[in-house]
Amino acid sequence: MKNNSIVLVSLTAALLVNSTHAGAEESFIGWLLDFSRTKEVKPVTDKHYQEECGECHFAYQPGLLPARSWDRLLKAEAMRDHFGDNAEMDIDTLKEIHDYAVENAADKSYYKRSRKIAAATADGPTPLRITELHYIQRKHHELPEKMIKGNRSVKSLSYCDKCHTQADDGVYDNDTVSIPNYPDWDD
Amino acid sequence: MKLKESLANFFAVICLTVVAAMAHASEAVFEPELPTVASSYFNKHNFSNYRPYLLAQNEVPTAKSQDEISVTSFEKFNPPLFTGSNAHKFLGVGTLALVIATAVAPKPPEVEDRAPTQAELDAQKSSSHAKLGRAAATLAVATVATGLLYHWDDFHLEDGLFDPDNQHALLGAAGALAMLYAISKAPDEGHAGMGIAGGAAMAVAIKLTW
Repeated sequence: MKNNSIVLVSLTAALLVNSTHAGAEESFIGWLLDFSRTKEVKPVTDKHYQEECGECHFAYQPGLLPARSWDRLLKAEAMRDHFGDNAEMDIDTLKEIHDYAVENAADKSYYKRSRKIAAATADGPTPLRITELHYIQRKHHELPEKMIKGNRSVKSLSYCDKCHTQADDGVYDNDTVSIPNYPDWDD
Repeated sequence: MKLKESLANFFAVICLTVVAAMAHASEAVFEPELPTVASSYFNKHNFSNYRPYLLAQNEVPTAKSQDEISVTSFEKFNPPLFTGSNAHKFLGVGTLALVIATAVAPKPPEVEDRAPTQAELDAQKSSSHAKLGRAAATLAVATVATGLLYHWDDFHLEDGLFDPDNQHALLGAAGALAMLYAISKAPDEGHAGMGIAGGAAMAVAIKLTW
């Protein structure tokens, strides 16, 4: 009986420890009884974010970077030199996009992949590129160069949606990967 | 009865081996130039020296010699239904279902005031409760096995105990062990608690990475 109590307490503790992030989005009970899948990254739900970011590149989910990264990236002065391009926009739209990204950043999301990114970026300098994240690099380490940079249908790891066929939905698992020109690739 | 049980167990092992082998056969070819130890890819090691890793530096311009690469037309990609990950997922959910079924299945009456007769022991072993319990433990082991096979690269001790994948793996394995212990002790008193604890550990493991 004593052993069972220890097991029960341990399991409850495991749930509670993991529910701290859930608290940012919903109540503990709500999270516990929610059966919708949260193993990936929360899809983009803000129309302006999708439209403004998606106009030039894949609209990366906010859950792919911590809040401090979005805070630095989506400042008016930073947008004048957004990875070499001028991406200025009106101040109200930028504020909305900034706030949405910060509120849904990796360190504020319960989605599993976001939590892993948050843990991997908790210390050290503020990452500004998703492709620089240690977690992302580790996930792609076994891909040979020819499949990405040497593949004219992909060109760079930055183009997530070229291979992750459900990237728009925030799904980045192995089962949904299809590398252009390498249809037989299997992880 | 014993022979029948052994045959059933043997058949279950063969089935699981075939399933694992089928899925394993579709795995990528081993890359001999890459380190296989997960810790080799951590910051403290200079793993960026490995050539395939350099592709992550997306600032580097696109490779020039692409002429030999044929571009195939894109078609709507449908993720395969039968994958190792899916097998792992369904085995885990199936384990939970069987744990619940085991708990609610009718149990043969317990004999407390005397030693059970052989007929009573046989009845206990062949009861729905016992069969479902054994099936649940078997599925739990299969779940752990498929998890190790197809999600081995999600498990990194270096990420710490708070990592959801690490917790998932540890709780899942502990749950399977608890279930095995429970069926090894059955029908003795006390096996129920361990069985329930095993099922609960599995349930928490699933929830953490659902």
